[in-house]
Amino acid sequence: MRASVAVFSTHKDGGAAADYEDAATFRPSVPDDTEVPGENISVAVADGASESLLAGRWARLLVGEFAEAEPLLDGERFAATAARAAARWPGVYDAYVDERRDRGKPITWYEEPGLARGAYATLLVAHFAESGMWNAAALGDSCLFQVREERLLSAFPLDTAAAFGTQPHLLNSRNVDEELIAAKTTLIDGRWEQEDVFFLCTDALAAWFLLGSESGRNPWTTLRDLGTDAIPCPFEDWVAGERTAGRMRNDDVTLVRVHMW
Amino acid sequence: MPYTAEISRANPTCFVFLVDQSASMSDPIGGEEPQRKADVVADAINRLLTELSVKCAKEEGVRDYFHVAMIGYGATVASAYGGALAGRDLVPLSEVADNPARSENRTKKVSDGAGGLVETSVTFPVWMDPVARNGTPMCRALSYAEQLVSRWLAEHPGCFPPIVLNLTDGEANDGDPTGPAAAIHAQSSADGPVLLFNLHVSDGGGTPVTFPDSDDALPDAYARQLFAMSSPLPAHMRSYAAQLGYTVGDATRGFVYNAEITSLIEFLDIGTRATDLR
Repeated sequence: MRASVAVFSTHKDGGAAADYEDAATFRPSVPDDTEVPGENISVAVADGASESLLAGRWARLLVGEFAEAEPLLDGERFAATAARAAARWPGVYDAYVDERRDRGKPITWYEEPGLARGAYATLLVAHFAESGMWNAAALGDSCLFQVREERLLSAFPLDTAAAFGTQPHLLNSRNVDEELIAAKTTLIDGRWEQEDVFFLCTDALAAWFLLGSESGRNPWTTLRDLGTDAIPCPFEDWVAGERTAGRMRNDDVTLVRVHMW
Repeated sequence: MPYTAEISRANPTCFVFLVDQSASMSDPIGGEEPQRKADVVADAINRLLTELSVKCAKEEGVRDYFHVAMIGYGATVASAYGGALAGRDLVPLSEVADNPARSENRTKKVSDGAGGLVETSVTFPVWMDPVARNGTPMCRALSYAEQLVSRWLAEHPGCFPPIVLNLTDGEANDGDPTGPAAAIHAQSSADGPVLLFNLHVSDGGGTPVTFPDSDDALPDAYARQLFAMSSPLPAHMRSYAAQLGYTVGDATRGFVYNAEITSLIEFLDIGTRATDLR
């Protein structure tokens, strides 16, 4: 299998770079847009929920756990991996509370309820195998799009711009109920061919993509050109332009582009 | 479509609480454990500010999605903040959260994880203490709120429309509040007219009512007047109200009679909600 992967990200306007609460990673780990060695590629994207605390840490923990996991076969395995990540959460939480205390900034009354509830994030995981098969699992509204030539072959798990809201399914860092997680997880699989491109996006970009597709534009052309001479500006500048034009909601934005050679 | 602007640090909106502090607020309401109306209203305000702060809390601070004014009306019409915020009008929410006048320890019953309840101590921040004296200059208070939101809108023309929440026993004695209320409704951002909601705390009896779509069940003229002054709930707020179990329709208004109004905070969209799988 010959393929390359590139990750693009930027934070919500009005905040700082440190406020970015999405996360994305892929394995095997190589520099962006270089050939990925091996027989399998794993990609994970998570989007920490605005209304929860430590959401960025939880998103990063999730994508790390899933990128290292065995290729997905079913919802049960997805749920078991999520539960393994949740089992590691108390250590992350305790270390954070200790660090705050040591810094002389103990947890405040307004942080306590949110910290007690745990952090929340969406999750999208995909695996690409040398056999020509790919599969993905999702919980929430981070989306995968498969594009072949100039056609959108797959949109998963949401396939219309109208389907996005403020209450997607979310993984909670204290949720170890594997049966419930498996029941809410959606799965897809398919075949890839040479020159297919996959885009894994957090919700603001996914909604932008589907709205563009529904309007007869080819949003994949733009995403395919990002980082090339066709769109030489930095990703954050391109996103800022789309936000200013009212075409993209103001949110953290993450894109993982997988190009099968 | 109105009421769809984002609420964010880049595009904040404002909340103006108007608090009736007139002498009639010292009258008791309730059955077995009567409370003074002034205590009910102060508790409601302190809970609203607590819930708003918790909703907007992130690590090491509260985000300034809202700027908040708390205006008391009774002997005067002026800021009702106590402590370090005394005398101020619109205050960024992060400052509100970091500066309650004091904090009390209260007991709260929580699940013991085995089907029972246990009492636990919780911090209850207090920004405003109950006050009950002099008349009820509600018209002046509404006009004051109109000035605040007007100034805010001049600086934030694209914001989610400001929300004015009036907490009162309903008996204005400086005229008919309908006119000043209409003046608030006439203010708007690019995203829609300012929202005016009312919490009526009354000793007039009758059944508590939350977010009604008509004044049929309301017991007196004051309640019906406040209902008429209240804005219809925008569509997304109706949807959240329905999720919380309230019966709502297109004509549902932001009006509550002798009932909790803290759920209003749940109607505000500041991003992806932290909701559990079920």
